[in-house]
Amino acid sequence: MKVKVVAQILEANDRIAAENKKLFKESGVYVINLMSAPGAGKTSLIERTIKELYKKLRIAVIEGDIAGTDDAQRIESLGIPAVQINTGGACHLDANMINEAIADVPLKDIDLLIIENVGNLVCPAEFKVGEDMKIMILSITEGDDKPLKYPLMFQESSALILNKIDLLPHINADLAKIKNNSLSLNPSLKIFEVSCKTGEGISEWTSWLQSLVA
Amino acid sequence: MHEVSIALGLLEFAAEYCKREGYKGIEAITVKIGKASGVMPEALHFAFEAVKVGTIAEKACLNIDEVPVSGFCSNCNKSFTVKQTYVLSCPICGKSSFRIETGQELNICEMEVF
Repeated sequence: MKVKVVAQILEANDRIAAENKKLFKESGVYVINLMSAPGAGKTSLIERTIKELYKKLRIAVIEGDIAGTDDAQRIESLGIPAVQINTGGACHLDANMINEAIADVPLKDIDLLIIENVGNLVCPAEFKVGEDMKIMILSITEGDDKPLKYPLMFQESSALILNKIDLLPHINADLAKIKNNSLSLNPSLKIFEVSCKTGEGISEWTSWLQSLVA
Repeated sequence: MHEVSIALGLLEFAAEYCKREGYKGIEAITVKIGKASGVMPEALHFAFEAVKVGTIAEKACLNIDEVPVSGFCSNCNKSFTVKQTYVLSCPICGKSSFRIETGQELNICEMEVF
């Protein structure tokens, strides 16, 4: 017998994401889901963001990695609560993994939760985790063809952070092309040019983030 | 790689549905997958075959309807369909006054149950 059903395949994930979001909202916590390819500078950006904002906002971090605790240790060394999720092979975080990690996050004592997704330019864009906003990083050394090769993440993100801007004189990437193609895919995308190494552009990003949380 | 998670989500929905409605098994599941959804049909077929073993859908086959990316342009007042996974400008008039209407689907639309 054939039966017609109308459902989202990721309905279960979206339902848990909505539960997470409700819990975050009730606790007064603003949540960002930070995504990028491996090595684009997610943890470095979080470190810079913490150094800029720790006097103004109470921050905690959930670190998603396939294996290891290096990233959580980097964050904890700054005196910020960090929870490490090891996905054990999964290429992205999903709502259920975040749901299980929430118990270890001091929600009552924080204003901003940064979720660092697994390094991957494809899959994380597909899964809601309960965030208020998705943010992506593209390091300019990855090449100016990336927006059109991996359109989904650029379309899903509210802000694009172009990292390693200090390397621009040494590489062939066309910054205007990256920005134009990203904006064509997502006209409301907010773009920041930063260098986590030199600190250039970081305050513009953190001021904007702070304005959203407050 | 995330097609395994998609396949698991699909099976979870199907199993819950059959339990609720009192069906014993599933012969086929039909899904609509948008071309811009980020899911590769071949990879989803492969993942489904692997994760269905031992479930209520063990003997089920997966039918995938691929949905192309389409949109409507308010400047030329026409609908369009493209082969790519993204649209930067209306393929008819070249303006950016368009909205995307299909291509992001990840939906279950039909099941054959017994």
